[in-house]
Order: sequence, then C-alpha cells, then structure tokens
Amino acid sequence: MKGSHHIAIESSRLKYEFDIKRNITIIQGDSATGKTTLIDLLNTYGRYGVESGIMLNSDVPCIVFSANPITWQDTLKTYNDSIIFFDEDYSFIFSKDFAETIRDSSNYYVLITRQPLYNLPYSIKEIYGIRTTGKYHFPEKIYHEFYPIYTDVGIYEIKDAVVLVEDTGSGFQFYQKICGADKCQSAGGNSKIVGKLENMPHDKHVTVIADGAAFGAYVASVLAISKRMSDVQLYFPESFEWIILKSGIIKVDNIDNILERPEDFIESRAFFSWERFFEDILVKATIDDPIRRYSKSKLSSFYYEGKNKDSILSIMPKGVFDKII
Amino acid sequence: MLSIYFGEKDNVMNGPAWFRFNYEAKWLSEGLVSRMIRDIDKSEYQGGELIMSDVLGPIPPERLSGGLQTLICIYNKPELMFNATSCGENCAKWLLEMGKDKDISINLRYFMPFENLEPFEIRILNEDKIVMNMDEYTRTAIKYV
Repeated sequence: MKGSHHIAIESSRLKYEFDIKRNITIIQGDSATGKTTLIDLLNTYGRYGVESGIMLNSDVPCIVFSANPITWQDTLKTYNDSIIFFDEDYSFIFSKDFAETIRDSSNYYVLITRQPLYNLPYSIKEIYGIRTTGKYHFPEKIYHEFYPIYTDVGIYEIKDAVVLVEDTGSGFQFYQKICGADKCQSAGGNSKIVGKLENMPHDKHVTVIADGAAFGAYVASVLAISKRMSDVQLYFPESFEWIILKSGIIKVDNIDNILERPEDFIESRAFFSWERFFEDILVKATIDDPIRRYSKSKLSSFYYEGKNKDSILSIMPKGVFDKII
Repeated sequence: MLSIYFGEKDNVMNGPAWFRFNYEAKWLSEGLVSRMIRDIDKSEYQGGELIMSDVLGPIPPERLSGGLQTLICIYNKPELMFNATSCGENCAKWLLEMGKDKDISINLRYFMPFENLEPFEIRILNEDKIVMNMDEYTRTAIKYV
C-alpha cells in the first residue's frame, strides 16, 4: 500500500480525524487523551458497521487487531491493503517475529505504545499524541486530532561541535570528510548513540546526526540524555540519501514531487522504511556512472568535493556545521 | 517511597485489565483518588460508582483512562507490582505523591520524565539505589528502557 490516507470516524458525541502516511505510526502521549476510546470506536464500527451509529470515512479498511495473541501471525497474513490498529498490551509487537511479519506487508500499522519498538524502523515524524480541539465539554461533540510529538526535534542552537553520527556508512564518511576525522565519530549503530553521547567529554559541544526515518525507537532516550548535557544539538534528517536527492546533484525524474510527497510513491510492501526507498532511488540513478555511483558502504568522492559538497551542505539547517568546517 | 523497575519483568500486573475485574467501589472516594480523577481524566467522582467525565458524560469506573486505572491499582494494592507503562507523563507527579504516602513499586518500560518535580526520592530497583534529581534519574533509567 502507498499514499496518505485520511481517516475520520465519528459518533454523535465524538469525532477523530487524522492522516496515516507511512507503514508504521506510533500513538503515545499523556493518559486520558482518548487513545482507548479511538480503538473502541473503530472496533465497534468493525463489528457492527453503520448499525453502530458510528460513521467511518476512509479509502482503505481500518481494522483493530483483536485476535488471539498466540495466532497473531496467521491473522495478520489475512489482511491486505488495510490500516491495522493495535491497542497497547500486545507484547508480540516488540518481537523480531513481528518485524519480520509486517516487513513485506501491504498494510499500514498504527501501534499504541509508549514502550520503544527497537525492532521496527519507524520515523520520529510518525510518533503522535492525541489532543482535543475546540470545545470539549459533554454533551457537546468532542473533536480529536493527532499531533506529532517530536516536531521540535532539530537544531537547537549554533555551536562549535563534535559530530556524532549513528553509523559508519556513507553519511558518516561524508561528515568525516567535511569536519575532519578528529571531530566526527561514529556511534556504531542507533542503539549505541545514548551510551556514546553520555560519555562525551563535558567540555565538548556535540551534534548528533541520525536518520530520522528509522530513529523513532531511540528519540526519547536521546532527547532525555541531551537535556541533561550542557551542549547538545540534534539533527535528524529523513536520511543522508534524502539530503543528496534534495540537493539536486543527481538528476532523477520527478524528484521534486517524490520528495514533496514521498508517501505517494513508497510501496510499503517493498520498503520497510523510507530511508531504504531514498537509497534505492539513488543507487538506481547512478548505477551506470562510475563517478557518481552511490554505495552505502563506500562514498564516492563525487559527493564530498567541490560544488557537490556545497550543494549537499546547503540542504542542512543553518548551524549544523557553521563552526567546525 | 516510589520504587521503579525499568525494562521487561515477569509477574507484573496489567493495570487496566486488573482494574476492570477487581476494583473496589470504595477506592473511588479516597481523597487522593478523587484528585487524580479530576486532574488526569478531567472528571468528577459523583458517589457510588458514578463518574462525570468532561468528554464522555456519566461513566462507570471501567471507562476511566487506562493510566488512571493503573494509578488507582498501584495505590490500593501496593503489595502488587503493576506495569505503569500504561501511565502517561501526566501521571508522574501522582506516582511521586503516592510514594510520599506509602511504599509502592512499579514497572516502567519507557522513559517517564519527572521533569520539574524535583526534589524527589525514587528507588531504582535495577540497581537498588535512590536517585534524587533528574540527572541521576535519567542517566540510570535510560540504561534499561
């Protein structure tokens, strides 16, 4: 499945309206915001349809998972091109088996949980809370909407910085070339950023760079520890490949539209996370050109020299590298 | 005192599920519980088993939020350990408040901030140590969630 899907579900007293645009969406936030009530509405509609007095507007089926937790894999395989909602308390959603099961699926998944899902590559941009809008006193109709919890994650301040990059791939190689090897370190993977960050010298300013498209499980911990440190700034672009494509140094048909609305082009069955999609575009667009050929494991000098380097840097928010290049 | 075990743990109770079939009506009239109902669910306890919700109108205790149900269980069954992951960040101050009144132990599987609630005393069961500020708390908690 691909595309953004607008969902509106309402009864005479309650209405929820939101958009789901990636294969994995997380709902969390404060208690008593209406998460369980949303599930109740969807579940009741699923069971009784319009006879329930609930109206659902969606271009794809919306299903609340309610099967036996023992046979969940079999149950999930019976759904296609649907949005499947999970209320909290299903422990299997944290397992590798769950990640493997939904990886090649045509469904989108909406998971209500505060516990990080380390086996799933979900975006920091698709972690939402629910809030009421307008009047909210019984018996008037109550309107609920989703809001992104981590919209403010970005550059906090301009500072002289040591750069901590999540991995050792092409992105790290780029940042190391432009910052100098002494100022750029790899954390060695998403799960090691917190530990590495915590052990940074206290007199150093640190910029953390990670692919936002798959950093959702880690963002809360990184934010928590960065608040305890004196000088940390965070930069979570969609992915390094997204930055390259955005810079325009590689010509790709229709790229402006693709980057404007990726959800309309990314098939969930083919790409578990958006960063894989952007990598795929870049690899295919450069495969026949030995100079430009893009590889995640080894970055061609084409990308970190001369005007191309400047074009890539121009995509990054002002402040990321101002004082260290 | 509030004690927290971070990360996955066996033999902890699911608050909303436990509450639904085991709560006692008299718990609702306790002063601290009434205040939590007002603060978290924006509702008023009316007596008996009736609660008036700003959003839902008159409701029974089974329709209180999962986070609030878990808090009520933690307060009234301190001999049990509940999974407080169903409690959102707006429950943090009430966990500390309950911990002033009695010894309670909870399981948390996400990083719940106790921002702007210092000074506090929280025992981290994973390391059997007491933390008293957000810096100590954060550096200890994130090792396990």
